[in-house]
Amino acid sequence: MADALLRCEPVPAAPAAYSGVTITLAPPMRRWSLRAKSRQALETHLGLSLPRKIGETLGDIACLGPDEWLWRAVDVEPKETGAGLPLSVVDVSERSVGIILEGHAARAMLNAGCPLDLERFAVGRMTRTIYEGVEIILSRESETRWSVDVWRSFAEHLLLSFTTVARNR
Amino acid sequence: MILIHCPYCDEKRPELEFTYAGEAHIARPADPSTLSDEEWERYLFIRANPKGRHNERWRHSFGCGRFFNAVRDTVTDKFETTYKAGEPRK
Ligand SMILES: [Zn+2]
Repeated sequence: MADALLRCEPVPAAPAAYSGVTITLAPPMRRWSLRAKSRQALETHLGLSLPRKIGETLGDIACLGPDEWLWRAVDVEPKETGAGLPLSVVDVSERSVGIILEGHAARAMLNAGCPLDLERFAVGRMTRTIYEGVEIILSRESETRWSVDVWRSFAEHLLLSFTTVARNR
Repeated sequence: MILIHCPYCDEKRPELEFTYAGEAHIARPADPSTLSDEEWERYLFIRANPKGRHNERWRHSFGCGRFFNAVRDTVTDKFETTYKAGEPRK
């Protein structure tokens, strides 16, 4: 598992600086997909509070849908996966690669391919959305710092799209 | 681009995040084996296809992932309302 988490291909490990934006590989993270019809059932099971509204984050956990949460952190491992309970806690760490876009031009760059109104996308929000046909999980970590989680097999295509936009600004 | 109100996210989101999924409120027959070929064909393929107000399914695929229903005018492409799956026809 540790090896897989450190695997970053096809995203280069070295940061790439462009005018107004730097594209960096996110630090290795564990990712857990949390699903349950009842939020309380998951909270009881994990001993944690979960965000209530779609798009909101609480600590390291984001609410992505009415019955779906994503727990991303450098080092977390729930003790129980909930076997036999009406919920699921699934390790999806290796599925995605994290890319960080940072700089005053990062928002404009993201809007080159993402149709969301990112000017009104508050710091701390996280959502599933789309960039040029590719599904991404987007979060705003500060005014000028954005994190993008993308499924590994799409990462090369997405990165090419990012760098093409960044080069041509 | 049209903005569509997702009843789960409770906000307007860009059309690119959604996928269309056909006419809404088509119930699968409880016991298909008792149906004639004509009745099964009607369930599978025959749709209202109105010119105007249409109850239809959409999915917020690149968002919360949920299916929901919408009332859209097929002439103007305007969404009248959207509502959660399982709620009565509007
Ligand atoms: Zn939604």
